Amino acid sequence: MKQIYVRPEQCMGCRSCEIGCAVQHSEEKSLFSAVLQSPPPMKRLFVESNDEIKMPVICRHCEDAPCLRSCISGCLFRDDKGLVRRKKERCIGCWTCMMTCPFGVITRDREKHIAVKCDRCHKLDVPACVNSCPTGALVFVDIDDMPKEKRQSLISAAAKEVL
Amino acid sequence: MMRHIIIGGSIAGISAAMEIRRSDAGALITMVSKEKPGAYYRPMIPYLIEKDGIDITFTDDPAKKYGIENIFEMATGIDAEAKEVALSSGDKLGYDRLLIAAGSGPVIPAIPGLDGDGVFALRTREDALGIKAAAKGKGDAVILGGGFVGTKAAIALRHLGLGVTIIEQQGQILPGRLDARGSAIVADAMRAAGIEIITGDLISEVIRDGGAVVSVRLSSGRTVKAGLVIVAAGSRPNVGVLRNSGIKTGRGVLINEMLQTNFPDIYAAGDVVEHADLITGMPAVSALWGNAEEMGRLAGKNMAGGNIKYAGFLSVMNATDILGIPVVSVGLIEPEGGGYEVVVQDGIDRYRKFVFRGDTLVGTVLVGDVANAGVYTNVIKNRVPLGRLKAEAMKEGLKYVDFVGSAPVQNLMG
Repeated sequence: MKQIYVRPEQCMGCRSCEIGCAVQHSEEKSLFSAVLQSPPPMKRLFVESNDEIKMPVICRHCEDAPCLRSCISGCLFRDDKGLVRRKKERCIGCWTCMMTCPFGVITRDREKHIAVKCDRCHKLDVPACVNSCPTGALVFVDIDDMPKEKRQSLISAAAKEVL
Repeated sequence: MMRHIIIGGSIAGISAAMEIRRSDAGALITMVSKEKPGAYYRPMIPYLIEKDGIDITFTDDPAKKYGIENIFEMATGIDAEAKEVALSSGDKLGYDRLLIAAGSGPVIPAIPGLDGDGVFALRTREDALGIKAAAKGKGDAVILGGGFVGTKAAIALRHLGLGVTIIEQQGQILPGRLDARGSAIVADAMRAAGIEIITGDLISEVIRDGGAVVSVRLSSGRTVKAGLVIVAAGSRPNVGVLRNSGIKTGRGVLINEMLQTNFPDIYAAGDVVEHADLITGMPAVSALWGNAEEMGRLAGKNMAGGNIKYAGFLSVMNATDILGIPVVSVGLIEPEGGGYEVVVQDGIDRYRKFVFRGDTLVGTVLVGDVANAGVYTNVIKNRVPLGRLKAEAMKEGLKYVDFVGSAPVQNLMG
């Protein structure tokens, strides 16, 4: 299955991914109408930085997803592609998923009073954030299809995060 | 073929059954619960009071999806030597592995006049629907207890137009779940919504006229008008089924780190369990959905032959929204004694409190702004020493990227 991989060493912190995400989740899906939309459309990933690196922090659609496990309303579910998604009409805005997501990538829609999270642009071939990234810091690949050395460089980048 | 019996039909039992089925396609899984029909999201029941037509059932019926046999009866006893569960019908069911996931029930204080019509607990879907029906035509309700259940019941009934008074024995609402400042913010919002809150007082008598509730008298001497009384005085583990079984209990069923009772083929999970709190180390009962899910899942894995150790739960791990104010509280929120450092940020629209023991975050209260709450929860739950990040946490707060880099402090996930 294709996954989004983050390569922090490529990230300039330009936030194009955030804009691409917000536009894709806007009403008319264009930058011009998105900037005029009120309230503005919400992004689902977040460029964060520390002294050393910048990186977009994204939803992993975890296999052992704490948000999904702790959801008290039956809103979050795993779709047939393996993505953790919302049945929006079931969200009551209790913020339990925000309390349990270790990545801090679920946020609060104050207008609609529901939780907002990445749906990995499940209707698109390539997620909007990946499409918007000008530097290759976000890639959308099936790791099993990659040549060995490329695979290792991705894994070692990912390993920096978790080790 | 292994025969698994699960006593209890809510989230601990369901998540256990799912795990057993994932590991063992041929296992016989039988769930014994008197609650019909089947599985629903219990924390959602306060919303049934005020909202029409909301669906709180599991979207995929776990019984169908995972091949679980349901027996809608009470389990009345356990014979741990003969490996049998007795049912209210008089039948007996033999098992190879048993899970006690009987949950918790309401604490009903002994108060004159409390027993009878117009008085409800709020633990089940039936309770919620009963309250909704009884609220029709009533002008006033009194809520006994200002915990999360009482608070949610109060808001629901207020939304239906009733005059609502909460009577809380302790000095604040949400005692143990929020600190004094967090509680005061929430209480202000509730009062602004027209809910009266009386703290430090008790109901001494429920006054009835011809059977119907008309008012309650308080220990202070005050009388509060009420056509409806909701008892939300907390919950306690449903350990009745264990009577004379030889299974060890304290306040709840005692388990080891494999979630086994003192009988190795009998496991326990969820609200019925008593276990050491991860932070305080003190025996605790949880009564939280997420903890019940986790315990059930791990118990199920182990019942099916797994070997997974359970670290324990945080007895405070709450998220909610009270009248538009998001609230999260996790871990040790009101430290007593020395050795703790408390940082408070009290702004116009947000209140945040962080409790440290050395360089470890052991508790947090977030009111008004719960962004990145999960980062804190995981740092607390996994007892991650923060090292140089402690200063960051105290100043700006933590974010995920703080745990990433060439020299990460430690993996956020423990």
